[in-house]
Amino acid sequence: MQERSSSAAGQPAIVARDLRRRFGAVQALDGLGFTVARGELYGLVGPDGAGKTTAIRALAGLIDLDGGEARILGLDPARDGAVRERLGLMPQQYSLYRDLTVGENLRFFGRLATLPAARYRERAARLLALTRLAPFVDRRADQLSGGMYKKLALSCALLTEPEVLLLDEPTNGVDPVSRRELWALLHEFVDGGMAVVISTPYMDEAERCHRVGLVHHGRLLLEGPPGRLLADFERAGHARPTFEELFIDSIGRAA
Amino acid sequence: MSGFWHTGRLQLGAVFRKEVRQTIRDRRVMFLLVVAPLIQTVIFGFAVDFDVDRVPAVLVDQDRSDESRLHARRVLADQTLRHAGEVAGVAEADQALDDGRAAVALVFPPSLARDLASQRPAEVQLLLDGTDPNRALVASGAVSRYFGEVGERLIRERLEAAGRPAPAQVVLVPRILYNPRLKTAPYIVPGIAGTLLVIVTTLVTAMGLSREREMGTMEQVLVTPIRPIWLLVGKLLPFLVIGIFDVLLLVAVGSWVFEVPLRGNLLVGAAGVLLYVFTTLGVGLLISTASQNQQQAFLGGFIFTMPAILLSGVMTPIRGMPGWLQVITWFNPTRHFAEVMRGVLMRGAGFGDLWFQLAFLAALGLGVMALAVSRFRTQLG
Repeated sequence: MQERSSSAAGQPAIVARDLRRRFGAVQALDGLGFTVARGELYGLVGPDGAGKTTAIRALAGLIDLDGGEARILGLDPARDGAVRERLGLMPQQYSLYRDLTVGENLRFFGRLATLPAARYRERAARLLALTRLAPFVDRRADQLSGGMYKKLALSCALLTEPEVLLLDEPTNGVDPVSRRELWALLHEFVDGGMAVVISTPYMDEAERCHRVGLVHHGRLLLEGPPGRLLADFERAGHARPTFEELFIDSIGRAA
Repeated sequence: MSGFWHTGRLQLGAVFRKEVRQTIRDRRVMFLLVVAPLIQTVIFGFAVDFDVDRVPAVLVDQDRSDESRLHARRVLADQTLRHAGEVAGVAEADQALDDGRAAVALVFPPSLARDLASQRPAEVQLLLDGTDPNRALVASGAVSRYFGEVGERLIRERLEAAGRPAPAQVVLVPRILYNPRLKTAPYIVPGIAGTLLVIVTTLVTAMGLSREREMGTMEQVLVTPIRPIWLLVGKLLPFLVIGIFDVLLLVAVGSWVFEVPLRGNLLVGAAGVLLYVFTTLGVGLLISTASQNQQQAFLGGFIFTMPAILLSGVMTPIRGMPGWLQVITWFNPTRHFAEVMRGVLMRGAGFGDLWFQLAFLAALGLGVMALAVSRFRTQLG
């Protein structure tokens, strides 16, 4: 994977600075910070409960922060409604209308985004072709396989061709073939200049990102291009290390 | 500004269409919204009957004279009481009331005919089952009325026999307006429409919005450029339409099956329906803003609808409630709706007669909706 950095690509499209958020006794975000440039795919990698979903929701403006600052294209996502015209989100949970068909879901989100009819048709057709969902356009969302459902959710998020895309564990519960297709799709859009943050608990997916941030207990343990992180780890005396080993070692050192 | 309306039209249309599509596809919701109110109105219309008649009565005739048998026949003749048998004594009559075989026992003393013939006061005992106060009062009234008339007739006969003029008499000429046959159904059906409507609209709205939150679909919608106002209107509008349709259906069935009259200005009725459904949708929205999931929304809806029905005056008269409770009923939209519908349908009332109820409904609706929208927007914000 070719390495990129926010500085190299100019002004960061996404800025998370010292994000803090507590839910009762749980400190979900404890000073998390990172930046993502346009045309960059940033992976938030960590186990369940690390704070990845909270970070994505904070960046989407869906929750208020106790402290810190989130900026999308220079705008505050919790306060500035204009962000929504330039942002796409694919939440972790099933968030589409399961009793509507593939076509009806796409049309609904296209209309909410007030896409002109011609532009909607063109984009929907392209996304349906890319995701190979076109034959299933009249199938209800609750009758799709896990992978197809995720592709539909991604298509809904991409309808507006957003400049920033936030994906919360999009490959969770998806078969290997569909996973590979999803990643291929993502890279196609990132190559077009989209800034993407993707959260995942799968360490092997880290290598598909331009940069990754290893998250644990709401904090960033390690950050950088995956190739360089592994190379540094290998230089520290670990023969042919994996991301899993790197992550476990990082947690041990942080503790 | 035109952009605001253009965007609004597109977004509102999208949400409205989506809601209609989902509602039509969900057979359970459609049943709850349309079929259940219809069935319940018909069942309640037949089942709820405030007319007290054919109250089972046992007779203890200790006199066993022609006179006592005549009075027994006559007192049972107006059908308020139904002859449920004759027993030997007061103890057996008590037992009949205990067993539930009778709700009334008439005890004629051994000297009834003799006392009346010798112009002595005769005492007829009436034993009543007071478990149902209304039934006991009606039965007691019917027997009192009969023996009152007997007493009057005896006085008149004796005065005439003595060659003296009969005393002056006040003859009551009742003329019952609006519901001359005093049937319960025409009175109860408009009220039942109100109680069913409050259940349907409040619960469906509260649960529908909570379901979006619970399923995560709300989150996906919230990151789109939709304005909260269009999302809200688009979600509520289909249920406003269904609520109005329900009322039309129930009034039509009420008119056809239960002879509910359609006397008044239906525009006034329509205004009442609109304001009422607007208010109950607001309550549903308010409940949804305080609920994390559908279960909480259902409970919230139940907690609201039960008192709303009980304090509406549909089943029990509001005048019979304690003063402080009567004041609370002013804040119950179902009370005002029932009064408007009964006024319009039965009494032919117009805007001039019902402006207070309509104004109160409007104030309630605006207040509840403003609070609900404010909470909804805060949550979305």
